[in-house]
Parts: sequence; C-alpha cells; structure tokens
Amino acid sequence: MSRFFATGSDSESEESSSADEIAPKAPGTTFKQSLLLSDDEEDTKRVVRSAKDKRFEELTNLIKTIRNAMKIRDMAKCLEEFEQLCRAFLKSKNIVDKEGVPPFYIRLLADLEDYLNQLWEDKEGKKKMNKNNAKALSTLRQKIRKYNRDYETEIAAYKENPQESADEEEEKEPGDSGSSSDSEGEEGEDGVSAKAFLKKKPDASADASKFLKTAKGSGDESSSSDDEDDDGDWGSDSVGSGSESSDDGDGQGASMAMVFLKKNQEPEKSDKKVLKKKKTKKKERLEEEAEEEGGEEVEGGWEKVKGGAPMVKEKPKMFAKGTEINVPVVVKKLNEILQARGKKGTDRAAQIELLHALANIANENNLGQGIMVKIKFNIIASLYDYNPNLAAFMKPDMWKKCLDCIDELLNILFENNNIFIGENIAEDSESLSNTDQPYRVRGCILTLVERMDEEFTKIMQNTDPHSQEYVDNLKDEGRVCGIIDRLLDYMETKGSTEEICRIYLRRIMHTYYKFDYKAHRRSLGLQGESKSEQDQEESEGEDSAVIMDRFCKFIYAKDRTDRIRTCAILCHIYHHALHSRWYQARDLMLMSHLQDNIQHADPPVQILYNRTMVQLGICAFRQGMIKDAHNALLDIQSSGRAKELLGQGLLMRNMQERNAEQEKIEKRRQVPFHMHINLELLECVYLVSAMLLEIPYMAAHEFDARRRMISKQFHHQLRVGERQPLLGPPESMREHVVAASKAMKMGDWRTCHSFIINEKMNSKVWDLFPETQRVREMLVRKIQEESLRTYLFTYSSVYDSISMQTLSEMFELEIPMVHSIISKMIINEELMASLDQPTQTVVMHRTEPTSLQNMALQLAEKLGSLVENNERVFDLKQGVYGGYFNRDQKGGYQQNKGGYQRGKSDQKGGYQQNKGGYQGGYQGGYQGGYQRGGYRNQNQNNY
Amino acid sequence: SGGVEPARGELNHASVSTKKAAHKGKIKALISRKNLIDSSVVLKIIKHYQEEGQGSEVVQGVLLGLVVEDRLEITNCFPFPQHTEDDADFDEVQYQMEMMRSLRHVNIDHLHVGWYQSTYYGSFVSRALLDSQFSYQHAIEESVVLIYDPIKTAQGSLSLKAYRLTPKLMEICKEKDFTPEGLKKASIGFENMFEEVPIIIKNSHLINALMWELEDKSTVADKHELLNLSSSNHLEKSLQLLMDRVDDMCQDIVKYNTYSRNLSKQQQQKHQYLQRRQQENTQRQSRGEPPLPEEDITKMFKPPQPPPRMDTLLIAGQINNYCQNVKEFTSQNLGKLFMAEALQGNN
Repeated sequence: MSRFFATGSDSESEESSSADEIAPKAPGTTFKQSLLLSDDEEDTKRVVRSAKDKRFEELTNLIKTIRNAMKIRDMAKCLEEFEQLCRAFLKSKNIVDKEGVPPFYIRLLADLEDYLNQLWEDKEGKKKMNKNNAKALSTLRQKIRKYNRDYETEIAAYKENPQESADEEEEKEPGDSGSSSDSEGEEGEDGVSAKAFLKKKPDASADASKFLKTAKGSGDESSSSDDEDDDGDWGSDSVGSGSESSDDGDGQGASMAMVFLKKNQEPEKSDKKVLKKKKTKKKERLEEEAEEEGGEEVEGGWEKVKGGAPMVKEKPKMFAKGTEINVPVVVKKLNEILQARGKKGTDRAAQIELLHALANIANENNLGQGIMVKIKFNIIASLYDYNPNLAAFMKPDMWKKCLDCIDELLNILFENNNIFIGENIAEDSESLSNTDQPYRVRGCILTLVERMDEEFTKIMQNTDPHSQEYVDNLKDEGRVCGIIDRLLDYMETKGSTEEICRIYLRRIMHTYYKFDYKAHRRSLGLQGESKSEQDQEESEGEDSAVIMDRFCKFIYAKDRTDRIRTCAILCHIYHHALHSRWYQARDLMLMSHLQDNIQHADPPVQILYNRTMVQLGICAFRQGMIKDAHNALLDIQSSGRAKELLGQGLLMRNMQERNAEQEKIEKRRQVPFHMHINLELLECVYLVSAMLLEIPYMAAHEFDARRRMISKQFHHQLRVGERQPLLGPPESMREHVVAASKAMKMGDWRTCHSFIINEKMNSKVWDLFPETQRVREMLVRKIQEESLRTYLFTYSSVYDSISMQTLSEMFELEIPMVHSIISKMIINEELMASLDQPTQTVVMHRTEPTSLQNMALQLAEKLGSLVENNERVFDLKQGVYGGYFNRDQKGGYQQNKGGYQRGKSDQKGGYQQNKGGYQGGYQGGYQGGYQRGGYRNQNQNNY
Repeated sequence: SGGVEPARGELNHASVSTKKAAHKGKIKALISRKNLIDSSVVLKIIKHYQEEGQGSEVVQGVLLGLVVEDRLEITNCFPFPQHTEDDADFDEVQYQMEMMRSLRHVNIDHLHVGWYQSTYYGSFVSRALLDSQFSYQHAIEESVVLIYDPIKTAQGSLSLKAYRLTPKLMEICKEKDFTPEGLKKASIGFENMFEEVPIIIKNSHLINALMWELEDKSTVADKHELLNLSSSNHLEKSLQLLMDRVDDMCQDIVKYNTYSRNLSKQQQQKHQYLQRRQQENTQRQSRGEPPLPEEDITKMFKPPQPPPRMDTLLIAGQINNYCQNVKEFTSQNLGKLFMAEALQGNN
C-alpha cells in the first residue's frame, strides 16, 4: 500500500483539497462540515471523481472529525463518529477489497488506540471527565481494541515505519498539536493523503465520471446554485440510473450504495441551505464555535430557525437561473423536498415554506392545475406533520393556513372537473402535465379532511373552554363544516360508496349534537317575526332531521364497515332524542341491538353510546316516561363516573390507577366542551326520576323485608341528607331533590313541587330544556300523581274510607284521574280497597298485615334459612340425608319451602296468596264473625 | 308501673313488699338450695332501676347476705354506681370494699353473695354475664345472680329470678375449652347452662301486719294493668330481638359449616397423603431402600381453627329465653282476650 504514497505527487493537492470539502457527507455528519464547505469559495470548482474517490473522502471527513474530537477530549463524539466511520468503511468494502485498506484509515486506528490507552492510563484525567465521556471512553476503548484485531498486521507495519511517507508524517504533527482553529489546514492534508491515494487508481472512464458528477450534482447544487453544472442536474435521476449500470468497473454494489447515499443526502439539503445563508455573513474564524451551536439549534428546536429571515431569500434559489421550469422539474423538486419528510433533522417549517414557494413558482409558470393539486396535497400533509407529537395540537396560524389550503384545493377541484384524485393511483401513473388527458393525481382529499376534522377536535380539546379563545376557535367550526359540505358535494359526484359513507359520517358527527332551533320553531308553528326573516329561514335549507335521515339511511344501506354504521346509528338516535322524537329513537336503539354488543366496540364508540343513552334518557324524561328515563340513565349514573363515561373529563381518583401513557390516551378521547351534556342536568333528571319511582315504592313496601332499592344512588343521597346535623334550606340541586323527596314521602305535593320547581332549579336545570314550560307542567303532574299514590300507601291504614272528591281537591287532580290512579292501584293489588261508585269513595279493606304480622313473616323466613343451614351441617356430618329429618319429613318441608319461594319469585301474586292464607287463618281464628273480612279472605284464597 | 309506685313513698321503711310477689315466691317448690330474699332488697333493686336505668340500659349491683343451713339469705344490696367514660380511673373493686366496710360499721350483713342485674325484654344471656357469674361462683361458691325484669314488673307481675351456673358449665369455663369437641364431651346444651334457683321473698311479721293495715287505708285506686289487652308492642319488641338473635345464630351456623367442611376436606387430603406415602414406602422396601422419614403430619396439615361454640350456646340460650317469654306472654294474653270476649258476649 505504501506504493501509493511513494508515487503520489503534491501537485494535485490544491484541487483535491477543495474537492474534498465539497464531498458529500454520510448521513450523520454534523453541520459543522457542511458549514465549512460552504465557506470555501473555491469549492464551486469541482472535479470529476470516481466512486472510490467519494468513499474515501467520506472516510477522511470522518477521520477529521474524530481527530478534532480527540483534541478536545470529547469521547462521546469520538465514539459516535467512530461508529459511523466503521459503517462507512464497511460500505466502501468493495473498493477496499480492490484497493487494499487505505493507509490513512490504519493510521487513524493506530492513533486512536494509542490515544485511548494514554487517556485510560491517565487516572487523574479520567476522574475529571464527566460521566458521559467516561462511559464513552471505556466503550470506545473496547471497541477499537476489538476492531483493530482485524488490522493487526497493517497497524504493526505502520507503527514500525511511521515515517514511511513524508506528507503523512507532516500531516500528523499539526494534527496532534494544532488547535481547533487549525482544522482547515489539517483538513487539507487529510484530503491530500486521500487524494494521493486516489490518484494511483486507474482513472474511471468518462462515462463513469460523468455519472458521478450528475449523481452528486443534485446533492451539491443547492450549496452552489450558480454552478454551471446544475443545469443538467435536474433531470439526473433517470440519467443517473442509466449510467450507473455502465459503471461495471466498480461493481454493482458500489453503485447501489451510491444511489442510496445520494438519497440520504437530500434530507439535509434544506438545512444546509439555511445554515449557509446564516453563515456567510459571519467571519470565518469566529464562527467555529457559533456554528456548532447553530447546528445544534437546528437539530434541537426548529423555532429559532423558523424565525430567521433567510427563508425569504431562499425562494429565488429554488431553481437555478435560466432553468426552464416545467412539470417534471417541479415534480422532481417536490420529491426532493418531500424526501426530507419525517427525517430527524428536517426543519418542518422550512419545508412548508419551500412547498409554498414551489406552489408559487408552479403557479407563476402556469404549469397547470394537476401539479398545483399535487403540491397542495403535500403542503397540507406537511402541515399535519408539523407537530411530531400526536398529543400536540396545531398552532392557530398553522390551522388557518391548513384551512386555507384545503379551501383552495377544493376550489381547484371544483373548477377543474378533469382532475382525478385517488390514493390508489400509483406515483408513476400520475399524469400532471398532459392537458389533453384528465389529470391524475395521487392523494386522498377525504383523508386530509378527516385529519383536519381531527385536528379541529384536538384544538378544541386543548383550549380552555371558559376562555374567549375557545369561542374564537369554535367560530372555525362553521368553516370546517363548510369544507366538509363542499367535499361532500364533490364526493357525491366522484367518490366511491365507501368514501361517501365516510364523508357522510363526518357530516353527521358535526350535526347530531346540535339542536335545530329553526325546525323546532317551525314545528311549534311560530312563524318568523317578519317576512324577510321567514324567507331567510326557508332559504337556509332543510331541517337537520332530514339531513340526518338521508345520510344515516345511506350509510345503513351502503356501509360495509361496522364502525361507521354503528356511529351513524348512535348519532341518529342521539339526534332523534335531542329533538324529542322518543319513539323513533327508542325503536332505533332497540332494533339495532347495540346494547348487546357495544362492549366490544372501541372506547370512542362506547363514549358515543353512553352519550346517546343519556340523551335518550333525558328525552324520555321530557316526554314524561319516567321509568324509561330512569332505566336509560341508571347504568351511567349508578357507577358514579358519569363524567368519565361521557368523555367529559378525567376523574382524579383514578390517577394512581393509570400511568401517564393511559392518561394521554384518555385525554385524547375527551369530547370537546361544546358537545358536552350538562352533568348537573343529567343527575337532576336521574334523581327526580328516581324520586318519582322510589318514594311511592318505599311507601308501598314499608314493612317488606325483601324490599329492594330501585336506585342506590338516590338512597345514597337520601342518607347523606339524613346525616346532616342541621338541616337548612336546600342549596344545591341534590339537596333540593332530597328535600322534595321528604315532602313527597308525606304526600305533601305542594312542598315537593316548590322544591323541584323554583327559581334556583329553573336556572340550574329546567331552563336548559328546549321546551321548558312543557317539561315543568309534566313534572308537576307527575309529582301530583305520585304524591297521591304515596299518600294512599302511607295513610290508607288510617282511613276506613276516603272520598275521591277530597283526594281530587287535595292533589288538584281531576276526579277521573284520581279514579284511574286508584283503580290501577287496586288492580295491581297495591292497595287493598274497593271503589264505591255511588258515593265516589274508596273503601279500605284493612287487609294489610300489621307490623307485628310482618315481623312474624320475617322471622319465619329467617328461621327457614336457619333450618336450612342447620341441615347442611347435618348433611356434612352424616354424609347423606338423614339424622334430624327422615326423608319424608324433609320432602314435606321442601315442598313447603317451594311454595314459599314461589311467593318470592312472582312478587305480587304468590306473596299475596301466602299472605291471604295467613290472614285467613288469623282472621278466621279471631274475628270470624266479620263478614267483610271473611269475604275478602275467600277471595284471596281463591285468587 | 303500678306495682312499684306505691312502694316508693314508703321506701324509707324499706320493708314493704307487694303481696302478690311474696305469694308467688312461696308457691315455688324448694328443690335444692332456696334463696330467701328480704323484701327490702327487692325494693332497692326496683328503685335502682327506676332511678338509673333507661330503656335498654342495664343496672347492676352487689348482693349481700349469708348462708344459713341449706339456704342463701339475701338481706341487703347496693348498686354499682353509673360511671361514665370520663372517670376511667374509677376503681370498682375499691368502691365495693369501701361500701362493704361501711356497711359493716353499721352492723349490716356484709358478706358478698352475688350480684343483680336488670334486663330488657328478657335479654340477659350474654358472654359478659357468663364471665362475671363464673368469676363470682369461682370465688364465692354460693353466689347467685338475680335478674330483674322491669318491663314485666311494670305490667303487673314482679319478675325476679335467681340463676346459677351449672357445675358442668363451671367446669368448662374453668378449662376454657369452648371447642365443639369440648362442649360435646361435657354434653352441655343451652338447656343446662344455667339453673334457676327458687326464691322466696320474706317479710317480717311486723311488716305483714303493716301491709294489711295499709291496704285498708289505701286510697290508691285499683290498677288494671294486669288486664291490659294491648300486646303488639311487647310482642314486636320481642320478635325484633328474637330475629336479631336468629340472625346471629345463622351466621354462627354458617361459620361452623365452613369449618367442618374445611376440616373434612383436610382430613381427606391428609388421608390421601398418608396413603401415597405408604405406597411409596412399600415400593421402596421392595427395592431395598430405606423408608422415607416420617414427617410431622400435623405441621403439614394444620387443622383449621375451630370456631368457639360458647357464643352459639349463649345465643341459643337467649333464644330459648325469648321464646319462653313470648310463650308466657301470649298465653296470658290469649286468656285475657277470651275473658274480654266472654265479657262482651255477656253484655
């Protein structure tokens, strides 16, 4: 190998050093180099180089960095660079195999090892090192030791004869002693050695060198835009690949690597440019440190760079002067920009700027709408990419830009009917330029709009709902809806069924939770105040109900993904419920059988389901179907996590149960504030429903041992109310309901009414309903009815008979109503009484068991279970039946119990029968003479 | 509280007794050792409850007297003071000693012969009573506990009963063996835990004479508490208490049930293990290897903690007590109802 150096001449050094500096860097090289190379004005003059040339340049560059790092004892950096060097070396294996291991490489290995050993020995110095460095040092030491084993002979040879080549020796001296400012010179010498080495290589053919130039050109042109070479560069992609194959001499592997390399460079280009601009204004020597910082800044945070002015200046440099701007050129440029996408060091803001610039250029040059569409697509995509974090939301200006872009894109699409877009159009089958044919552009506008909608949700989620900002942001909803509407129109003509379903769902999602006041007013028969308003109303379009209906039915019919249909059904139900179309909503819910399998759905759908159920319950309540309302709300309310289940906030107490990751996921599921269902309203509706059901039930089953609670939560509230040491006038909604319940328990409907419906409750709850007055009337009515029932349950034992007239006056209900309620109670055997038609009175029968009798029944039950338990002990002891009871007796007992249990199972009938029997015996024994009692007994026993 | 109230005014004389009560006491057969109770003791107990007992609260006190021949004469008593939690350092024993010393100074019988306690609807069979009666009987062989039922008394018939622990129960308590086996071996049931000792309330002749005289002079109208027909309140309370006890009983049975199930399961496991071990050993023997060492079986299979059965016994005793009460009460009431019916019919 020494022969290369022996024959090497210095005459070429000047040129080669400059070439060296222009050399493309490996993907990980720092910005420092890119800056350095742009300093150099001469670098514009480049030479033709072979693949080998390039490889070695890359290596030398890395070596240089390592040496610099060694000088400042930055072990971490050293390690990093060394790893890259190894990789680069591996890549150039082809060449090395042919040419032998380059001496400069060996030299570095030897030096590095010596240096590391020296550092390792220096205990003092090691102690001073920071942890990172120390760690890197030991790692690197191990690595290099292992690595050097492969090159032992070479290193040994080098060590034996270090002064083999003079320039090498020379190079080494300043390299070791020089300060960081010396790097220029050192770099040059490094280059010399590389060049000298390269020179010996039989020169590549003209073809090969040409290829190299062009291939590389695309990497370099941005840093030297006035370079004459650039002209040819634009079309180089295809040319490059063509010439590559001709480059047989170096082998296929190398050329493949070349292509790869070239691509790798591109991402950095924009950064390079930015940096270069900054740099040229500064003084050469001073920069060294500042640049490094600058470089880091670019990597770390993009904001600083974004603010920089250079961007504007950049634009003209997009294309070289005099370039004929046509579609392929622009497309190529576009691809180039796009390739940087998603890379770590990419400045996303700058990328967006570049794309905008490109769009402008395309526009100026009238390249046709096809290319515009394509660029727009990419602009929007990079806007979405702007935030690397999924949780972060768009900045307002970005959001505005995004909306504008989508609007423009839609404009173009609407104006040009001959553009076909689709995500399945392959990149190479696109046709952008040919105006005769329809344009074909790859991309999916639907996805973009969906993403936009999601971004909007994210923005709303992340804005404080009580600020003016939220209102401002919410104003954009109109725009979002507008865009969705426009796209919907577009899709209806062009899209596939699935796409239509998707866009319909988007539209539904923006519609279902909004109350249609217009339709509401119309349905109430209220005309607009003035004629003009009325006209306006009419022109405003169809009712949301009609829209919902149309879209949902389309989805029911056409959708093939289950999820969209489920969402659509739920939204449809919600919308029905919101507009008090209870029966439609309920039927849809029941027909869809969603209740059976909703637990298999994903959480957002489940949240939607919960919202729908709640809305359904509230709707039932407005319609006066208290029981349905209660049933619908029971699941949500009984868990006590309504807030969480509706996606309207996280519960604090769950904090320890979930980790940060889960919390983030949950946060993303939250429903934006403007879609929230008022939780207080929800709770109030639930509690009032529970009150209307539970209080009469409690009164009816006061002594029943098997009484079950209808609503646990309501009982909880009652208990909380009882625990208060001092009972003041109610303040909160709950206290109001509790106070009302107490009044109702006594059958005092007026007090109950005044607790449920008053100023405070109106403002808190009832005014939130669209048909406030009607709901209140319904509520009063219900309170009257249920109070009457409660009254009869509680006090029937006090009366022998009671006139319906009196009851009607007491509860301000019409007599027929009272009649019907009492009849119903008698039929249901809740009230032991009969109606006396001529006198319009209720005659009580007094057949309710007294408390003592109830107690005895309870005792009997308890004794039953006691005996049962006791028998079990016996069974265990005896192994089989036996002992206490013989088989027959036991059978008899069981039979008895069977009858008893029947009483338990069909609550009313069996129980009554039982009771009847009991009472028959009791009364027969005691007051057999009482005719009425006897009659009743017979009746009951036969029943 | 008709039966008690006239006595109140004359309490200073401390020797008036209701005639009925004395009568009742005499009828009872004197089986083994009888208790002779001075009427002043009865009145003091009644007074104590009237003054301090409220509702379900219980008052207690010490009985003093002496053994004469084969009978125990209770001639005096004093109450335990009600003390609140505030004065925790109150020393009851100290108080009793002090009290007895003082009584001796005034030449009153001061020998400790037992204690008394009031009861609420006949609920007195409890662990606390068992423990204290045990310690009394352990220390002073002839001790009795007098149970005074103020509610029954208020209804017109003085209810005062003397109980002692049976010798069997004493033995068990001494050994503190309340396991199911222990109780089984002692063959003790709820019926033979306590023995009731007949009591005779004795007045001096002078007092009897005074009573006769007073009765003539008495202006107090005849009370008809005895004939009160209302029954539900008393029955309800009794049923309520009965139900609570039945619930307790149920729980105990369930506990016992689990215990015995666990026990039998473990027995089975133990058996299986032993069998396996035996098989292995015979195999080993046939191969000429030494048998496996015997491990401590009891360590491997710790028998489950048997539930103490004493509480169950007590509950059963209490239930029995309630039932007796209810039975007594209802039979009386039925009689009254028939009487009332007959009266109505005649009218």
